[in-house]
Amino acid sequence: MLEIEDLCVEVAGKSVLDGVTLHLPPGELHVLLGPNGSGKSSLLASILGLPPYRITRGAIRLDGVPLTDLPLHERARLGIGMAFQRPPGLDGVSVSAFAEALGAGETLAREAAALDLTDFVRRDMNVGFSGGEIKRWEILKLFLQDPRLMLFDEPESGVDLEHVIAIGQAIRRMVRSPDRQDRPRAGLVITHTGLILRHVAADCAHIVRDGRLIHSGDPQTLFTHIQTHGYSVPDAA
Amino acid sequence: MDDMTTTAGALTNAERDILHEVGFADESTRAGTSILADQTMRMALSHDPGVEILPLAQALNTYDFVQGLMFGLVDPEENEHVRLVAEHMHDPLGHFIWVKPGAKVKLPVQSFTLLETPQGRQFTHDITLIDEGAEVEMLSGSAVPASVRKGRHISIGETYIRANATCRSVTIEHWGPEMEVHSYGWSRMEAGATSTSTAIMMSPIRHHASHSVSILDAGASATSQAVVFAPEGTSRVLASEARLIAPGARSQDVTRMVSAGGVIENRALLVGAAAGTEGFLGCDGLKLTDAGEIRAVPSLSALAEGTQLSHEASVGRIDGEKLAYLMASGMSEDAARDLIVQGFLSLSDDQIPASLRARVAAMVAEAKSGGM
Repeated sequence: MLEIEDLCVEVAGKSVLDGVTLHLPPGELHVLLGPNGSGKSSLLASILGLPPYRITRGAIRLDGVPLTDLPLHERARLGIGMAFQRPPGLDGVSVSAFAEALGAGETLAREAAALDLTDFVRRDMNVGFSGGEIKRWEILKLFLQDPRLMLFDEPESGVDLEHVIAIGQAIRRMVRSPDRQDRPRAGLVITHTGLILRHVAADCAHIVRDGRLIHSGDPQTLFTHIQTHGYSVPDAA
Repeated sequence: MDDMTTTAGALTNAERDILHEVGFADESTRAGTSILADQTMRMALSHDPGVEILPLAQALNTYDFVQGLMFGLVDPEENEHVRLVAEHMHDPLGHFIWVKPGAKVKLPVQSFTLLETPQGRQFTHDITLIDEGAEVEMLSGSAVPASVRKGRHISIGETYIRANATCRSVTIEHWGPEMEVHSYGWSRMEAGATSTSTAIMMSPIRHHASHSVSILDAGASATSQAVVFAPEGTSRVLASEARLIAPGARSQDVTRMVSAGGVIENRALLVGAAAGTEGFLGCDGLKLTDAGEIRAVPSLSALAEGTQLSHEASVGRIDGEKLAYLMASGMSEDAARDLIVQGFLSLSDDQIPASLRARVAAMVAEAKSGGM
């Protein structure tokens, strides 16, 4: 579904990704592991086309369609959605107004209950939300958008354990179920704590360091390795 | 219950449709209705014994005290526009609305002005008296048919909110796109009076200058919010002054302005003239294009020790991060901008009567970077 080949990205002239290659097949969920500043969030932003990331080399394709020349909203319409780590507050823009603008009013009513967000719909987006509420809202937002490729930027940070389970289950449910056109989805999750790993049943993990993807493997094995050896390549540890 | 009615001809369906756009509802659903069209009071009607509505000329002949209210808050020589209206003092055009002492008026009172003649001229004078301990909700507005683009309207409003009275008001303005309007409002709030007002100025207009002065006595409280939109070719100058003259007087005034190429100037002055007074001015602007101007000038004047006054003013453009966040869900840039602008201009529901919320939301939703 997602093919990234030799991707190089810079921000304000500074390299943030250097020759990243990653393949994400339909139906799979992969996790990105790496220290702060390693380039994980830059990779998700580059896939989606968020400013100010500038692709200097390489290719990103979704189902064979090159993305690098497409603007942000067209990539989203092709089926890419992201749960942001720190989304901006939108004063005066209620959750329900946003859902209506997306044509997803009915989905909002149905999915809000599953994420314990029923009382949420009248509130302004991300305004006065707690850390946990932001994460749950970002997941709910993806339900409204119904993307095929789902990007999750640290979905468990700032969330209590009870809600980590709910978020993990929601991610797994979304990624493992087909979209409204019955096409398989795929997901890419950044995790720092690894807490979410228990609940999302990832297929593959990638270690990102210094803007490079240095190793890929079984998620639980890699996470155990990182806990004892840091973000290194297992064979070389 | 007997109706108290003064009419000079029923409204046509077309007139009702025009007025509906600015919040009018059938008079049977209102405690009282006042409609002024061109040079005629077309309706002055009340269904509520606690409310009396008369053409001002008739009110002057009916009640001696109305003479004391007329030009009671403003000098007839205040400026050239006020002088123009004062020249018609012998036969004034406008309404007198009296909410009687202690009346708890359940349904809203509505008053609207129509200018139906292209290139028409209107000079109006309205007096509103909300008597001691009364409670009322006032809906007002102005409108023109689509055929009226040019014209001139000058209005004076004098509002007396007596001790411990409560008034909640919403005003929606929709004049012709090439009109010139000067509106002056003076209000006097006696001890313990409460006022909550909302003004909606979203439609294109060549030039609108509004000037308001409020005087708040001990324990009086005024909360006002305004949303102002100026597409290209629109110029709006808002000047307001709130004078807190006795302990316990409180005022909060928040204005949100969006320029899509038009000019908005907002000069707001808050005067703390007594100890134990408190006031806040908020002016926020959003600039959507390089054309036009937003000028926000909040001023504080502390005349007494122990007055607490503050203001916040900001003018900016649409935040690129917010835009990207919405576009990341598949919205076009235009749709994302519209949603952000609508959010910026959204009003507190609890300050708008339930019957008007949908209409107000629709008007705000029509405010786009290209104008209404």
